[in-house]
Amino acid sequence: MASNPMQQFTVHRIGPEIKIAGIDLSFTNASLFMVISASIIILFLFLGSKEKKIIPDKIQLIAEMFYTFVAKMISDTAGSKAKPYFPFIFSLFMFVLFCNMVGMLPYSFTVTSHIIVTLIMALFIFIAVTIIGFIKHGFKYLSIFVPSGVPAVLLPLITIIEIISYLSRPVSLSVRLFANMMAGHTMLKVFGGFVVSLGILGGWLPLSFSVALTGLEILVAFLQAYVFAILTCIYLNDALNLHH
Amino acid sequence: MKSFLSLLIALVAMNIDLYAAEAGMPQLDPTYWASQAFWLILVFTILYIAVSKFYLPKIKDNLDNRENKIKEDLEDANKFKELSEAKLKEYEIILENAKKEVSKIHFESKNILDKDIQSKKNELEKELEKEISKAHKEILELKKNSISSIQNISENITSNIIENISGDKLNESSIKAAVEDISKKNIDKYL
Repeated sequence: MASNPMQQFTVHRIGPEIKIAGIDLSFTNASLFMVISASIIILFLFLGSKEKKIIPDKIQLIAEMFYTFVAKMISDTAGSKAKPYFPFIFSLFMFVLFCNMVGMLPYSFTVTSHIIVTLIMALFIFIAVTIIGFIKHGFKYLSIFVPSGVPAVLLPLITIIEIISYLSRPVSLSVRLFANMMAGHTMLKVFGGFVVSLGILGGWLPLSFSVALTGLEILVAFLQAYVFAILTCIYLNDALNLHH
Repeated sequence: MKSFLSLLIALVAMNIDLYAAEAGMPQLDPTYWASQAFWLILVFTILYIAVSKFYLPKIKDNLDNRENKIKEDLEDANKFKELSEAKLKEYEIILENAKKEVSKIHFESKNILDKDIQSKKNELEKELEKEISKAHKEILELKKNSISSIQNISENITSNIIENISGDKLNESSIKAAVEDISKKNIDKYL
């Protein structure tokens, strides 16, 4: 393996080159791990909903726990109006979580450590939420930029700040996930490199660090999936329940 | 958390700098952006359809079934509880009635027995009185008889004693008169 800690993020083509209208859409290792993550989710949900037991077995229990976890998250943050979007939030949460978790396996590839992937998800959410807001409230949705109870003098300034913060949502949402994943995996790789370079005598310290970091990264993998999903819920809540 | 993140970023930046000569961030290389976008959208769409059309309704059904089953069971349990409480009440009422009946029967039988005893007692007393009066009469008769027989005996004894002592026979009437006289004086002492 290359000692470059950024090596793990390189995307390379697997199989034949696919070009449609001059755009390279080849199947890559990133695509492979997207497919693997999605397949694991589908397999897991299949096993979890196969037998309809009154007293669930382990895998059914875990699937139901995921279901109730996401359902509770949505109803807590966005209320009952967000129910139609439950399948999307659930798929999003599961996809990000499993991509993060699959990325924790050695020699695997972390799909969510690529800005383009997270940016597309965040942009989709941003655009969809904005469209939902305009459909539900019409032009009154623009009042999201004008908070109530602000002195008239400050109003233009606050409105500008609100607009900037609204427009920066996709950036913050995507960069948060991407940066967390990339930083964590780079750290792991760097400490792994230290273990090798310091050898049997000095390698124990970075090795113990590496072990601790792996635990931390698993936590971060879950946490970032949760944060990604809950922020989506919060944005959805803004669009569905106009408070201003 | 923030300081930790900044430390991480600093470390990453250092490392990026260290290896900047070999390669920058592969994430910023646009060669496969279109491919990643395409495959992401494809895979996620398939996942979304599978999840929303097949698995989530199944899991929801399952959860609803369980909730309904628990609700039904609880309702059944409540129903049975109410039923058992009603039965308990019924049983208590029956017990109460039975107790009342027992005391009633007890009271009645006691009354009957009392009456019976009273009447038997009365009868017995009457009989006793009869017997007593009969005995009384008999005693009186006996008394009367005894007085005359005592007089006869005493007359005989007297005549005998006089005969033995004097050797003469006194006439009966004088003895009779004497005995009567004495007995009239002394008979009250003995009877």
